[in-house]
Amino acid sequence: MDMSDEVDLRKTYDAIVVGSGAAGGMAAHVLTSHGMKVLLLEAGQKLNINKELKSMEWPYDHPRRGNMPPDSHALSGREYTIRKPPYAQGSPYKHVYSYVEDGSGSDYAKNIVVDEKDHPYTGTEYAWVRARCLGGKTNIWGRLALRLSDYDFKAATRDGYGEDWPISYADISPYYDKVDLYLGISGHKENLPYLPDSIFQRAVRLNPAEVKLRASLQKMGRVLTPYRAGVTTDGLKHNKYRVHCYGRGACDRRVGGCDIHAAFDSPTGLIYPALETGNLTLRTNATVSEVTVDKDTGKASGVAFIDTETGKTYTAQGRAVLLAASTLESARLMLLSKSSLYPNGIGNSSGHVGHNFCEHLMGPGVYGLDQELVGKPRTLDDGRPGSFYLARFRNLTDRNPKFLRGYGFEGGSGTGMFPDNAYGTPGFGSAYKKTVRDYAGAFIGMGGFGEVLPRYDNYVELDPQVKDRWGIPVLRFHIKFGDNEKKMAKDMADSAREMFEAAGIQVLNVSRDILTEGYSIHELGTSRMGADPKKSVVNQFQQSHDVKNLLVVDGSTHVSASCQNPTWTIMALCWRSCDHLAEEMRKGNV
Amino acid sequence: MSYEINRRDLIRIGAGAAMAVPAAFAVADAPRFFTPAEFALLDEMSEMIIPADDHSPGARAAQVAAYIDAHVAEAFESKERDDWRNGLKSVEDLSRKMHGHAFMEASPGERVAVLTRMAKNEMNPKAPEEVFFRELKHATAHAYYTSKIGIHQEMEYKGNVMLEQFVGYEVK
Repeated sequence: MDMSDEVDLRKTYDAIVVGSGAAGGMAAHVLTSHGMKVLLLEAGQKLNINKELKSMEWPYDHPRRGNMPPDSHALSGREYTIRKPPYAQGSPYKHVYSYVEDGSGSDYAKNIVVDEKDHPYTGTEYAWVRARCLGGKTNIWGRLALRLSDYDFKAATRDGYGEDWPISYADISPYYDKVDLYLGISGHKENLPYLPDSIFQRAVRLNPAEVKLRASLQKMGRVLTPYRAGVTTDGLKHNKYRVHCYGRGACDRRVGGCDIHAAFDSPTGLIYPALETGNLTLRTNATVSEVTVDKDTGKASGVAFIDTETGKTYTAQGRAVLLAASTLESARLMLLSKSSLYPNGIGNSSGHVGHNFCEHLMGPGVYGLDQELVGKPRTLDDGRPGSFYLARFRNLTDRNPKFLRGYGFEGGSGTGMFPDNAYGTPGFGSAYKKTVRDYAGAFIGMGGFGEVLPRYDNYVELDPQVKDRWGIPVLRFHIKFGDNEKKMAKDMADSAREMFEAAGIQVLNVSRDILTEGYSIHELGTSRMGADPKKSVVNQFQQSHDVKNLLVVDGSTHVSASCQNPTWTIMALCWRSCDHLAEEMRKGNV
Repeated sequence: MSYEINRRDLIRIGAGAAMAVPAAFAVADAPRFFTPAEFALLDEMSEMIIPADDHSPGARAAQVAAYIDAHVAEAFESKERDDWRNGLKSVEDLSRKMHGHAFMEASPGERVAVLTRMAKNEMNPKAPEEVFFRELKHATAHAYYTSKIGIHQEMEYKGNVMLEQFVGYEVK
């Protein structure tokens, strides 16, 4: 749909925000609340998301029990390791999707994630998951909402590796509070200095095997806490688009997505309320290809974009430009924005754009059986937006001789709609059937998320040849896990086994392999914050050192990955930066 | 117990993610792909894998064979259709070798013997009929446990409803 008539591109907006996920939605919310006129550009379309997700449709009411049509293919975990990107190249399938579509319920997310055929990339193996639609990945995110602490912000001071963040927990803590209160978060207070509490709504409950594991871990000085979910469990009086969680369980059965919007998503949590201020203009199907520059002032003047469906090109003018296109796409956009003033790409005088990439490593984990639960009556265990989180315990008070930083685990247990053990239980006949039934609720598993160290040599750049469907140069990856990650992964698997054994849970399988880079969908870095313009891309307010009215407000700016999931930090930082930008513009400094 | 790892499966094992085998249309009056004889064989074997018992009906009542037929009929790669056809033929070959007649003409005891032989190396299948058993069982389990009978009668699943309170134990 050509929306050029609906959106006024003749006027100069106070701010242009590129991307509508967690960061872009937050920027739109905060800037419009300051009375600024904002143009929000999203490359994908605005979906009727409830029609897409259909959370409560039974498998047998769907023609393919939730799976995609046969001409669509999801990349398997193995495909990422045996081939090099672009992964859809030469595929006979009509549509090719990333691995997140390889599971039950993928048909409900096929319009949310991108078709790899249109969006190639090159270089080293990397499992890149992208969602181009209003709200981006927040439509299907895993919802674990954690705070970082000074163990993360000042990690370099603690262990000597890398750079500290230019902020401390005291700077961001009030903004975490704002995000908690505005969007809602579920959890249980634990008073841990390395995993600060949020302002929690009603917590999820634990299943028997999880209670057992929590009690056992307590003796080891470790903490298993109910899943800290970016989900409103008590409701939000100020938001008419969202209701509290009704424990329907669809969040665990599907690729993700909450069609009652108890789980945070950017459209209902941030963008729709921002539209109601009258200060927000939304333009979807707008693939931004360049940040434009005023040659006289050196400032950003706006952006150039391509209509995603018609291919027509447009420009928009803004007094400030905020990039929130995701860690990798924002870097790509800066590198694409070359001019005589900025030959290496806008905001890249340091040469650090695209570099210092970091993320979370995944793969190691454990799967076990709680014998006490075998044969117990059926219980309803999957009506929760998440099960448990096991907080980091390495390199807090001690210093592990083998590796730096830490890792946490996400896990779960109990009966779901589908008995996973049906595939792995051997045999056939009534004995097989009874075994599946008796054991279905007795399993517990968890998988680790480990901090990947930022390294200058882990980077992305523009591919000199390959272009996407819109003729825009794509990213070429140079990203590989290193020695610290491999040693950490080994410890993750070993410690996972030890913790299950200590709790009396029978270990059935220990996963040791590291999944392909990118798998965690927690890509960070590429435009890191810092005080030194030679070693960083933006300042502590996510403002470009080179171009005052250019901000990068997504995960690009994270100096290190921590092992805690990034979404809540992305939003808290963005809120802080947008407050600062509004103040600076009021003072005439930008 | 090792399958292709999916991010969500890894972190929510036990939460009930059905995987790997693409599903198909549930009910068909006549087989779309299989011949009537092949369909009868498939139907019989699915019921032997997940039979009716005093707890709930089995794979036949859940129309597992019709579901597999519809899936195979629309499979993107014709190799998948060939594999199913050849797999069923390998069952017939094995039955004739073991008992001198076709599977559907064999006695109940003979049929169990054939399936037992096919299931011998389930976790590490090598022979064609062993590989086929794994595929057949996987498809049968997927179809059965996503069916009305599988979900509501066999597993007595109580979820996918609106709850006011989470189930489980509150952390104190």
